[in-house]
Amino acid sequence: MANNAMGYIIIDGTETQIRGAALVTDAKGFPVDFVRTDPLRPDQLSRILYGESFGKYAKEKLILESLLDAVETDPQIWICNDSDILAPLREKSRIKSVLLEESPHVPLDAAGHIETTADPGVFLIQANTNGAPFRAEFPGGIRPEEVQQTGAILTEAAATMDILEPFARLEKALNFLASGTR
Amino acid sequence: MGLRDFIASRVLRRVDVYRIDDFSVDPPETVSIKKRVDVVRLKPEIPCEVSRPFEFSEITEKMKANAVNVKLAGKMPKSHNYRIKRFVKEDVRTHSFQFAKKPKTWSLLKQVQALPQERMNVLKYIKRPETLRGEVILACYGPIVEGGVLKLALNKQRGTLLVWYKAGSRQLKAKYAYLIRRLGLGGKPEWRWE
Repeated sequence: MANNAMGYIIIDGTETQIRGAALVTDAKGFPVDFVRTDPLRPDQLSRILYGESFGKYAKEKLILESLLDAVETDPQIWICNDSDILAPLREKSRIKSVLLEESPHVPLDAAGHIETTADPGVFLIQANTNGAPFRAEFPGGIRPEEVQQTGAILTEAAATMDILEPFARLEKALNFLASGTR
Repeated sequence: MGLRDFIASRVLRRVDVYRIDDFSVDPPETVSIKKRVDVVRLKPEIPCEVSRPFEFSEITEKMKANAVNVKLAGKMPKSHNYRIKRFVKEDVRTHSFQFAKKPKTWSLLKQVQALPQERMNVLKYIKRPETLRGEVILACYGPIVEGGVLKLALNKQRGTLLVWYKAGSRQLKAKYAYLIRRLGLGGKPEWRWE
């Protein structure tokens, strides 16, 4: 089977609780793998000792690694929505990774079109034909070929699914599970 | 010495000699150079438990805490212009700090597969929607793989379309679902796939 799976990772939380989840979907957006972590509740001593670096450490070292270890189906690309985990996600998974968000820009010329922005490592990718381009942020030192390949993957996926929609499902799933039902 | 004595001493070379029995001169004042030491009692022992991120081992995932110097609050008293040193027994215990362990992960695929996908109305982005004569397009949702759909439900409050797919469906041909209303009395909204 050709790997057209799309991977999504979210890690969110507050100072007192951090949790994460990873969802791998097929080209329709239908889930083929899903893992989530128990909430990580650092004690006050940990928060004092680590200070502001605690959140980054917990996301990268504790949550992200746990999720990547637990996922059984490798996607062709990981999409995240947190710049803290973008570089470690690429490094640890060795899979193309991108931080993808909606942008307020007007649609570009055609699906598959990629434009650079003033921010290094940030591109506008017009993946679908019916909507604004995505703001795509890549890890530092990204090669132009990888940007092009990512654009092609996103464009192909956008033909059969709503690319950012799985994030909403991940949020719903985490909230649903946090409400006590497992 | 009177005149008589003077002349006598010159002429007779005799002087009166007096014996001094009462040597009553005051002794010279002496000053002791012995120093007095003021002892200012501080708290004799100040137990402190101090942990400070010092070294992190990726292998053990433990942090070593590093003892730090204990600084006493407050000014030390002065005595005779000598600085009083701090003689405080430091009783600093250090602790190995076990950081939070990796959280447990759960694979919960079936629960997530039951959640519908939500499609937004993308009609405003469609440049030239194909309208047939006698119909009005109300909304457009997609892309949706029609052949894999298990159930569709319109969320009227949010104006979105909820899509449930069949598990295991290998269909990948995507279409857009147009919600249309045929003009005329009693025309109900219908779906048209393109």
